Amino acid sequence: MTNYVELHAHSYFSLLDGASSPDDLLRRARELGMDALALTDHDAVYGAVPFVKAAREIGIRPILGAEMTLEGDPTPHHLTLLVEEACGWANLCQLITLARHNAPKGNALLPSDALEGHTKGLIALSGCRLGEIAAAIRYNDPQTALKTAQRYRDLFGRNHFFIELQHHLLPHDDSLTADLVALAEQIGVPYVATNNVHYARRESSRLQDVLVCIRHLKPLEEAASLCRPNSEYYLKSADEMCALFADYPDAITQTRHIAERCTFDLSFGLQELPTFPAPEGMSAHAYLQKLCVEGLVTRRIEPTDEIKRQLDYELGVIERSGLANYFLIVWDLVRFARTNDILCQGRGSAANSLVAYLLGISPVNPMEHDLVFERFLSDERQVVPDIDIDFQADRREEVIQYVYERYGNEHAAMACTFVTFRARSAIRDVGKALGLPPEVLDRAARTIDTFKSGRIAEVGDLDAIFGSKATFDQLADLADQIDGFPRHLGIHNGGMIVMGVPLSSRLPTELATMPDRYVVQWDKDAIEDAGLVKIDILGLRMLSAIAEAKQTVEAITGQPLDLDELRFDDPAIYDMVSAADTIGVFQVESRAQQQVLPRLQPRQFNDLIVSISLIRPGPVQGNMVHPYLRRRLGQETVIYPHPLLQPALEETLGVVLFQEQVLKVARDLAGFTGGQGEGLRRALGSKRAHEALDRFHVAFLDGAARKGVENPIADAVFDTLRAFGGYSFPKSHAAAFAVLVYQSAWFKHYHPAAFYAALLNHQPMGFWSPAAIVNDAKRHGIRVLPVEVNMSAGKCTVQGGAIRLGFNQVKGFGAVAIERVMETRMVSDFCSLADFCHRTQLPQRLIENLILAGGMDGWGKTRRSLVWELGKLDYRPDTLPLDLPEDTLDLPPVSLLEVMGIEYGLLGISLRDHVMTLYRPQLLERGILGNRDLERCQDGDTVTVAGQILVHQAPPTAKGHHFITLEDEDGFINIIVRPDVYAQYRRVLRESPLLVIEGTVQHSRGVLNVIAANASALP
Amino acid sequence: MTRVWIQGDAITAEVDDVSSPIRFTWAGRTHNVKTVANRWRVDANWWRLRLWHEYFKLTTDTGLLVVVYHDLVDGEWYLQRLYD
Repeated sequence: MTNYVELHAHSYFSLLDGASSPDDLLRRARELGMDALALTDHDAVYGAVPFVKAAREIGIRPILGAEMTLEGDPTPHHLTLLVEEACGWANLCQLITLARHNAPKGNALLPSDALEGHTKGLIALSGCRLGEIAAAIRYNDPQTALKTAQRYRDLFGRNHFFIELQHHLLPHDDSLTADLVALAEQIGVPYVATNNVHYARRESSRLQDVLVCIRHLKPLEEAASLCRPNSEYYLKSADEMCALFADYPDAITQTRHIAERCTFDLSFGLQELPTFPAPEGMSAHAYLQKLCVEGLVTRRIEPTDEIKRQLDYELGVIERSGLANYFLIVWDLVRFARTNDILCQGRGSAANSLVAYLLGISPVNPMEHDLVFERFLSDERQVVPDIDIDFQADRREEVIQYVYERYGNEHAAMACTFVTFRARSAIRDVGKALGLPPEVLDRAARTIDTFKSGRIAEVGDLDAIFGSKATFDQLADLADQIDGFPRHLGIHNGGMIVMGVPLSSRLPTELATMPDRYVVQWDKDAIEDAGLVKIDILGLRMLSAIAEAKQTVEAITGQPLDLDELRFDDPAIYDMVSAADTIGVFQVESRAQQQVLPRLQPRQFNDLIVSISLIRPGPVQGNMVHPYLRRRLGQETVIYPHPLLQPALEETLGVVLFQEQVLKVARDLAGFTGGQGEGLRRALGSKRAHEALDRFHVAFLDGAARKGVENPIADAVFDTLRAFGGYSFPKSHAAAFAVLVYQSAWFKHYHPAAFYAALLNHQPMGFWSPAAIVNDAKRHGIRVLPVEVNMSAGKCTVQGGAIRLGFNQVKGFGAVAIERVMETRMVSDFCSLADFCHRTQLPQRLIENLILAGGMDGWGKTRRSLVWELGKLDYRPDTLPLDLPEDTLDLPPVSLLEVMGIEYGLLGISLRDHVMTLYRPQLLERGILGNRDLERCQDGDTVTVAGQILVHQAPPTAKGHHFITLEDEDGFINIIVRPDVYAQYRRVLRESPLLVIEGTVQHSRGVLNVIAANASALP
Repeated sequence: MTRVWIQGDAITAEVDDVSSPIRFTWAGRTHNVKTVANRWRVDANWWRLRLWHEYFKLTTDTGLLVVVYHDLVDGEWYLQRLYD
């Protein structure tokens, strides 16, 4: 244990300033033998929770605080605040909130009178060179320094204000230190040494310089005055600090005295939720019960003994967990949505709850699907439940707004999110700081293959791009270091937190991007770790698409459509899904899904649940998919290690697929309670729970023995859980999603035009691009009509059973432009280009896009000539254009390929025949095959195929394999590229839109792939 | 009048236990350090050629007022500036 404790340290949560994670700082502190460390980020406690959590694990006492930015003349000042006791935390949160609300978003400025009344429980250090006192001394103004020091001393109290000394081996640090010490002695306050740490180790000073450059948008060459002059701002050892302050040993010992006083422990626990206004003075519990009983009627559930028992049990657990109010708040939200016709449904583990189902929060009856409540909530698990609700993405804001209005800005705020540096953005930002040319960086960023590990791949041609390996190495190294660093606050993600007391007394809030919206300074993970409940108000575009399709169908048929009436038992739907005709269908449309569905052959709702849970990277990695499929196809007998496991694993043919099954296996074989089972499940899914898992192992074997299960069998079962438990999926979540799978499939089958139009209107969403969706529609016999200036609406619509593309599909047409066109057209149709221009006054660029997208084809002129005419109109929006007499002009014809290219660029869609039709004649000549030819091929045949690249995936679980989907006029061609082949043809595969692939056919059980041997671009 | 050696003029130096120079030899002559008036470090230009120096402003028993620096990259000592 050293004498020196660092009391002023910045992590990377001092955005674009600190160059180490809280973890890194703590690890370094540990290495240096320190037993305490303070975190003082700029006007923020973003890192408080991860800091405290990591500190506890590593055995270091965390001290919380912040470096505040205060109003000052001519420039703002810094002040270091440390939390001594609980009231200090509340005061710190309020001060940070005040500072953040007093400046533009992303900045902070504490008003000069704000400290008054907010000092209790805090220890103040006078700050770095930019502290008011140090600055005054540096500017040769000792009177101001004295007056200021006295003011702070009186404000905080003699025992709570320290003069802060820092020595970074700058030319005037010796004299500044001496002056500050003299001042401290003069006014009778102690002095203390800190190092204003901005990184854990000296080497990271480079990264810190780069961050400063990124913040100021300047290259290093021009940023000398902005960067720190040396690399002394690292976490220094006690010896190093003692050497720097050899003349002032008290400054060092004082750090320990302060550290010992800061005993505040950020204890995590459920926040005080707002008390929900129940009617007639009923308690929350009573009101909840009443609503559930009413729900039995609404959901048409017979109140059997079993149901009543389950309901009583759940309500009991909810009451004991203090969550009755929370459920009412969520119920109220869903009620608001339903009342306003906003589609919504709960997802995740909440679907395990009967109460959630009866309140209308979750869409599936847990009793019907044998779900497990304890997966969601139990008496034993001190874990806070997460209720996530999907709302129509396009109307999610209304729901969020409702929460703000109902509870007020002081009591409701969103969780914050951090946009972090990722390899691609890191290359650009770091490269700019290093002064590398933008074109070089563009190419590098585009061609870089990123892997989950974040390590930027060393690729041969990148060296060539950069000119020297050293340059590339430097760039790659820094970009690697910065990967994962928070860059700035992002757009909210829907996590909302509500409190009975004002939020700012518990954690600071700051301005969000949207006006009148506030975020708390903790992200979802921190909030969850802190044990606070939040409500996740998520936007799901599929819900928007379904809502829109529903409205379209109702408008066309004139009949209301109640999706709740769907019984999930229509064989036609399952036929479609089993044939992998699932483009556009929720969750089961991906390439991976399409490869497995023909073998899985889903025939009932539960099969959809299995499909969602099974076809994911986890089960693939855990080698669960093939065993399950083999058993399902009768190629392998289903055996249970012990008969006791049959009830739990029957539905998945003996494979542990669902998280709920872990709980059931533990219960049935080893007598675990639900709470214990959930604990086991969590330990299985965690990377760091070895000790806990060992304890569970012992308990499992004991419990199994008591049930008369032989030890080797119990051990083998536990091993199975160990192998698969980490990859299991929440059945409740899959069940909630399966509802949407069915509904979207139902629309695709029975009302395809309405469905496809809705999908196009809510892009980006799903797996496939708009082009793929349009082609799928066409393959299903739906006509897709082009954008037409007098026929199109703002969005895609159904006209006479066909889909009419809307203006929303044309590049550049946003809400404003669309409204302009639609409003103007209400008076009368457009009769000519000049007429359109006069009346809409849209920018020329947009009109040109519309022309080239084919919007004005109806007037019988070529697009080229219309563009020419547009140019001659001397058109300026909002001025009267001069009409010029028409010339007849012979313009050279544009090739079809060019036209398609232009259309594709403007719409993302080409309505013409597929581009591959243009190449078909020469492909036939060369013996190159397309989708329709492949059907005839046998497993093992050598073929050459060609198509337009649609999808290129390299999932991390695929061990370097790449999966490419090509499309031609008849459908898809699936290509698998092994790592060695990929290495050879990387450029071509990444950069060419049209590919020729030579390879071997792999045709088994209805699924066809071509294993690539070589690749070239189709010229 | 001050003389400045932009690239530094090579010297040899002896230091104490806190790496502060106590004497140095320059142009054949040895100078004992009387006082260290100031001491500071610079770490810059790392993206091209790192400049990591520790500077000392010294008075010597030979009546000189100089700035010398220790190049922390190559470990050598140099005279930077001589005050008149």
